[in-house]
Amino acid sequence: MSEERLSIIKVRDILMVTMPADPDDATVSALQERVLLAMERSTARGVVLDVSAVDSLDSFFARMIAETTRMVGLMGGRTVLTGIRPSVAITLTQLGLTLGKTRTALSVDRAFEILRDGSQQVQKP
Amino acid sequence: MTKSTEANTLERPSAANQAGAVLQTTAEHFRMLVDNMKDYAIIILDTSGRVASWNPGSETILGYRSSEIIGQHFSRFFPSEEVQRGKPEMELKVATAEGRSEDEGWRMKKDGSRFWSNQVITALRDQGGTLCGFGKVMRDLTERKRAEEKATLQAREIIEISTPVIQIWDGILMAPLVGTLDSERTQQLMERLLERIVETDSAVALLDVTGVPTIDTRTAQHLAETTTAVRLLGAQAVLTGVRPAIAQTLAHLGVDLGNITTRSTLAAGLRVALNLLNLQMVSGNGSGRKDAQ
Amino acid sequence: MNDSLPEEIALRTETDIIVVRKSVREAATRLGFGITDVTRIITAASELARNVFLYAGSGVVRCRVLNGSDRVGLELIVEDHGPGIVDIDQAMQPGYTSGGGLGFGLPGAKRLMDEMEIESVVGKGTKITIKKWRKGT
Repeated sequence: MSEERLSIIKVRDILMVTMPADPDDATVSALQERVLLAMERSTARGVVLDVSAVDSLDSFFARMIAETTRMVGLMGGRTVLTGIRPSVAITLTQLGLTLGKTRTALSVDRAFEILRDGSQQVQKP
Repeated sequence: MTKSTEANTLERPSAANQAGAVLQTTAEHFRMLVDNMKDYAIIILDTSGRVASWNPGSETILGYRSSEIIGQHFSRFFPSEEVQRGKPEMELKVATAEGRSEDEGWRMKKDGSRFWSNQVITALRDQGGTLCGFGKVMRDLTERKRAEEKATLQAREIIEISTPVIQIWDGILMAPLVGTLDSERTQQLMERLLERIVETDSAVALLDVTGVPTIDTRTAQHLAETTTAVRLLGAQAVLTGVRPAIAQTLAHLGVDLGNITTRSTLAAGLRVALNLLNLQMVSGNGSGRKDAQ
Repeated sequence: MNDSLPEEIALRTETDIIVVRKSVREAATRLGFGITDVTRIITAASELARNVFLYAGSGVVRCRVLNGSDRVGLELIVEDHGPGIVDIDQAMQPGYTSGGGLGFGLPGAKRLMDEMEIESVVGKGTKITIKKWRKGT
């Protein structure tokens, strides 16, 4: 069904992760594993997770995103989530899923800016 | 019988004769009044609800000539669903028990069309207190009803379009909320606001509640949800125009507004927004930046 | 319109959740629901379908168009022959979970939809019916 796969590319010191439109559970689970592995290998400063293709995000997927953000944080990196659609944002809010402390950005550009600016800042506990 | 004795006593003294004449004239005047009341259907019903008397106004409003309606039961003025629900009997019952009954509703004309009627039905009792019939006064208020419906509809439309989402600056949107915020409206606003944020790539949205008279728990919840959804997109909402009364309500309701930036005025909110965008507002009254000189 | 909806979607493997989401999206879009409502319905369906895996292992999802006298809606019935829900009230509490989920499934689905009905017999299975009515004309 979901032939399109999760893509992770490294842009300078940032990992650019793009989710496919309707990822199955295996793809969502792979997100965590592959991102953490890439963080370890590449000494990236942070992760930009682009979900602009995603048209529905359920609690399983939301939990994976929140957990991945936390784990990337434990490895010294920051995650910025970008591309949440208005309809998805409303649905998540109504579900009571606010994605914890995950940073969000309106566009990939802004997500990169946040990660660049954040390099001088002290990591929040 | 009380009535005849009374009539006798009235006719005995000469002074009473005069009084009787006055009474008769009053009765005639009254009859004339009833006959000329074209805007009012004035109907006398017998104790079982059958029409006993019919004024010209009744003919104008309901369409029946008095010859064809006298003796007919008044339930024919009701729509069939009201008859099934026992509404005509109910009206008589209430009037009998309480003296009168007043209400408004759709009634049927002879030609089958409906009109919006205001009606009062009064129990008529003789001196001894025995029920001898009912007086029913009906008015056709269809035009008023239609005007009201139209006004309600227009008010709804105004409310629906009254929350524009305006781009007031590069990267700053504002939604001035006016009137009462119900769930439906807040939902629509939320959708529109979020879509506009994405379209205009705006990092800050000012939600101005200056025009909102009161905020209840649900509304506060909706506002909290809206700001959360805005944050998920990667933008930030600032609630402005939070007057003391609204601040008190919000505090008392215990709605978690912890993550929401609020300001008492729109101007203060705008300053927050510009700050978030790393822009600075230069005051127009000379107290601006010193290094400008 | 009715006959173009799939009668039943069997839930046997996790990838069937995607089939459910896809079918529900198509049905809701065709019925003229707005994008946010379509997303709500898909998400609710996804939550309930996932619950079937977590608790019962397998089940079935049925999708039906509701033609009311003055409104149109979509009904989803998610049914399994799993262990059933012991305490429905408890299961409706946000954050409650007995099977490793996040606990947003049932209360979340209810919030996203207009109506929700749960029939459950312990040891026999669970049948959850959710409905969403189209707004406006």
